[in-house]
Amino acid sequence: MLDTFDTIVCGAGHAGCEAALAAARMGARTLLLTGNIDTIAQMSCNPAIGGLAKGHMVCEIDALGGEMATNTDLTAIQFRLLNASKGPAVQACRAQCDKKAYQFRLKHTLELTPNLSVFQSVVTGLVFKNGAVTGVQTQLGIDFKAKTVIVTTGTFLRALMHVGTNKSEGGRMGDFSAKTLSHSFTEAGIELSRLKTGTPCRLLGSSIDFSKLSPQHGDPLPALFGFYDTRSDQPMFHVEHGKRIFSDSFDKAMFHVEHNGQKRIGWHPGKEQVPCWEAHTTAKTHQIINDNLGKSALYGGEISGTGPRYCPSIEDKIVRFCDKPEHKLFIEPEGRNTDEWYINGLSTSLPFDVQIDMIQSIPGLENAHMLRPAYAVEYDFAQPTQLFASLESKKVENLFFAGQINGTSGYEEAAAQGLVAGINAVLKTRNQNPVIIGRESAYIGVLIDDLVTKGTTEPYRMFTSRAEHRLLFNHGSAETRLLPFIEGHNLVPEDRLKRIQAKRDSIERWIDKLERETRSGGTWGDFIRREGDPSELPQAFKDLSESVQNEVLYRVRYKGYLDRELRTIAKLAKTDKMRIPQDFDYSAVKGLRAESAQKLAEVRPATLGQASRISGVNPTDITILMIALGCK
Amino acid sequence: MTTDTIVAPATAAGEAALAVVRVSGPMVPELVQSVFKKPSSPRKVSLGSYTAQDGHILDSLVYVVYANGKSYTGEDLLELNPHGNPWLVRKILDDLLERGCRLAEPGEFTRRAFLNGKLDLSQAEAVAQVIQARSDRALEAARRQLSGSVGKTVNRLVDSLLHITASLEAYIDFPEEDLPDEDSSGPAQSLRDLIKEMDHLIATRKFSSLLHDGVKCVILGEPNVGKSSLLNALTGEDRVIVSAEPGTTRDYVEERIHIGPYLLRIIDTAGLHEAASSIEEQGINRSLEQIESADLLLVVLDSTRPAPTLPDSVLKALQDHQALVVENKIDLDSSADHANFAPACPHVRISASTHKGLDELRSTIRTSLEEGLLIPDESAVIVSARHAAALEVAKQALRICLDKLRQAAPVELAAADLREAIDAMGEITGKIDNEAMLDRLFNNFCIGK
Repeated sequence: MLDTFDTIVCGAGHAGCEAALAAARMGARTLLLTGNIDTIAQMSCNPAIGGLAKGHMVCEIDALGGEMATNTDLTAIQFRLLNASKGPAVQACRAQCDKKAYQFRLKHTLELTPNLSVFQSVVTGLVFKNGAVTGVQTQLGIDFKAKTVIVTTGTFLRALMHVGTNKSEGGRMGDFSAKTLSHSFTEAGIELSRLKTGTPCRLLGSSIDFSKLSPQHGDPLPALFGFYDTRSDQPMFHVEHGKRIFSDSFDKAMFHVEHNGQKRIGWHPGKEQVPCWEAHTTAKTHQIINDNLGKSALYGGEISGTGPRYCPSIEDKIVRFCDKPEHKLFIEPEGRNTDEWYINGLSTSLPFDVQIDMIQSIPGLENAHMLRPAYAVEYDFAQPTQLFASLESKKVENLFFAGQINGTSGYEEAAAQGLVAGINAVLKTRNQNPVIIGRESAYIGVLIDDLVTKGTTEPYRMFTSRAEHRLLFNHGSAETRLLPFIEGHNLVPEDRLKRIQAKRDSIERWIDKLERETRSGGTWGDFIRREGDPSELPQAFKDLSESVQNEVLYRVRYKGYLDRELRTIAKLAKTDKMRIPQDFDYSAVKGLRAESAQKLAEVRPATLGQASRISGVNPTDITILMIALGCK
Repeated sequence: MTTDTIVAPATAAGEAALAVVRVSGPMVPELVQSVFKKPSSPRKVSLGSYTAQDGHILDSLVYVVYANGKSYTGEDLLELNPHGNPWLVRKILDDLLERGCRLAEPGEFTRRAFLNGKLDLSQAEAVAQVIQARSDRALEAARRQLSGSVGKTVNRLVDSLLHITASLEAYIDFPEEDLPDEDSSGPAQSLRDLIKEMDHLIATRKFSSLLHDGVKCVILGEPNVGKSSLLNALTGEDRVIVSAEPGTTRDYVEERIHIGPYLLRIIDTAGLHEAASSIEEQGINRSLEQIESADLLLVVLDSTRPAPTLPDSVLKALQDHQALVVENKIDLDSSADHANFAPACPHVRISASTHKGLDELRSTIRTSLEEGLLIPDESAVIVSARHAAALEVAKQALRICLDKLRQAAPVELAAADLREAIDAMGEITGKIDNEAMLDRLFNNFCIGK
């Protein structure tokens, strides 16, 4: 093995895998270090990918050449399209995955990727020289040098787990805690804070009385995350997909086949989707929790880190919404080849014995056997305002951060950052400008802009409402929307790039055509906006691929709203283009309020647009800043 | 390119010979055409009649048009020089806003100039000073306003707005959560209430200038009925030359007095009668102009003489305005009651020379202001023009949102309109961060599996 790389990625979770794959696919000599190769791409919490905003991001990851979408599509055991009754922009895919299959397929993908080495050893420290990172040290005493280093350590930095008052060190039950790496960061001037998150218990399926629960089935026709109309390597399917991505003539009983001509090992797909099950808490559950609140790590004051508002523990829900007679729970399968079930909605840091009482007060779970208890975990994170939008550290050159260490939560949020960090770490080694995806272009852009501009006080999760222009971020537009960011970077194979370009051209041409060509009573555009019968549309249009048709119809039907978004974006574009030097002295600007100057100096925005999004900085400050910049 | 056209007075509020109103943006050429009924000729000083959208001529004024690329802002720019009457300036602003302009933010003209590359480096420093002074004042004013009752009211509106948004967003972002059944009638009712409240608030805008600039109160009447004596009696100073010779006040005289909590600008006008000299005729015409723009008229009669016959134009003004009849000189023996003159108006009998009845006059004026002009009391909320403009934008967005909810259009579209309203409210309170909405959402709904 080499001891010098272009890029080293520390951590092989969802962020690390995307970072390493992107770097290697761009042709960089890449090393992926993990404390445990068997936990590559592990879903530490629920066995699902997607949902609102998260699912959108997975599509965007696919459009940028990332792996999460196909990996999910090929290892999922249940698919659902959420918000099917609402407009296309806020519809999202969600899939239950086979956890082990997900890991194995991704691990094998890493193994098959040229330019990528995977190596098992815990990273214990970084090596710095002249304010820049030059390599990493590992527990085995083996050091590696690199031009850039990406840190994707998740919840493992000085990680502490709580089950009631029982505490143990580790970033995930059964795993280690990275105890020394934090020191490397603080040494380099990177400030660390604490966050908290948690995961519910897992139960044994054979001990659950499913007859008392109601099933929640997948959609008969799965909605997939990946874009398959622009890929060449058909067939690429697995059995649960039904007719969606392989032809009828194909023998459904066959083993699953994948792209790149590589048959992947690791799991045996089934024929049917697997349902989730709905259960609910009872008055007795609530009583048990109320009686034992003092024993909760959260309420007992054991945990100092901030937990997420959107994912409260069950004790939190019962205290805050005390008049709610019951809380819904989802029992989700962890895979095809296991009888372990995830109890969604029951995050807690109550002690083990209380957890058992609580579980057994739930109809259907009276005799449930607990395989793993719920626990909370506290860990170090680095406030992401210490990063540029490229995800490179402002304090240490060539050092990139992605995933939970940036204060986020969620596999999708992590993967999105990993991908961007991977791309930019490689571009940095080549002295090229970073890829900065703006918040007007994609959820990934909103994610990164929010993080580096505002920072976070709780594990940050993406919501569609965080995106000012979410109407533009419908699933179907991801490929064409993100096309400008992949061109020239070798992130997707050349033939796919050409197909995406052709798809974009076809969409544009048809929108133009439908808005120009008239029929009785106006243009085709008017006809579509009046909700006319789609079967009357021109035959040539109906001959187009489903994805092109859908995108054209969306853009035409919602033209008024989408145009308004575009106008707003154009208005803001000017300030977004005005760059602020990183060494700019805010305190020397006459007329700038002291509190604004302080905030600006903390965040050090790259552009005037970013400055304007810092909370507490008002339009007058921006005007003054604009003039001051002109003076320079 | 900027797409909207901004307008703002470039001179301070208050009475002056002239005021300057600047308009910048792409609408300027068509505005000039529709306001002055002639095409714009750049960089020429033109005289024209400003015709409001309702057809009324507001003022005869001098204006200059600068072409796109050759102006201070680098955009199409119009500079209006109306007479320096705050009411007139406000009317012109109102008209321009109605025509689709929006009020400029502090420093926005300069910002545009800068963006369009019209400021060279040597000017920049100086301009920064100017903006600084101007915006600090504006900020200070905004802060003061926002700490008071306006702030409380606006914050309450923002709060309801965020609450409505949260109740729609919850169903968009958390379809799998255990939420109550989706029902848009609740948000729709809240929206209707909110729109109503905004309407009330916007309507208080006119009081902002009434209170800030003062209530314009015009004294009128025949020559030598004691108009100037009344002014002197009210101000307690011999400010105005008083003589027994009719027509002493040839122009008009203005004084400021307080009645209760209200500031009044009292304007003494030339006597209304058939003019003897051309100078007097001019004076009378100017009196008529003053009467037109008055908030309150004090018609002075001489109780020792028969009730006058006033010109038709004045009589009409009496009907259109809040007016009081002041019967003067009741200290003289030959005084008589003129109750039949303009019987709809309250009458007060006084003597300007002995000050008899003056207290009653003051309290009648106050009642008139409070009841007739509906000036709310001190604690009430009164919004400024800038606030009103922002509220107006927000209200329009909410109207559209309400329509969408009624038509059961996709809820994310209604949410887009709510976002526009929230952004508009942000012009008053400072940017409203999405976090504030999320806080409401997580407080009101049990989210989290």
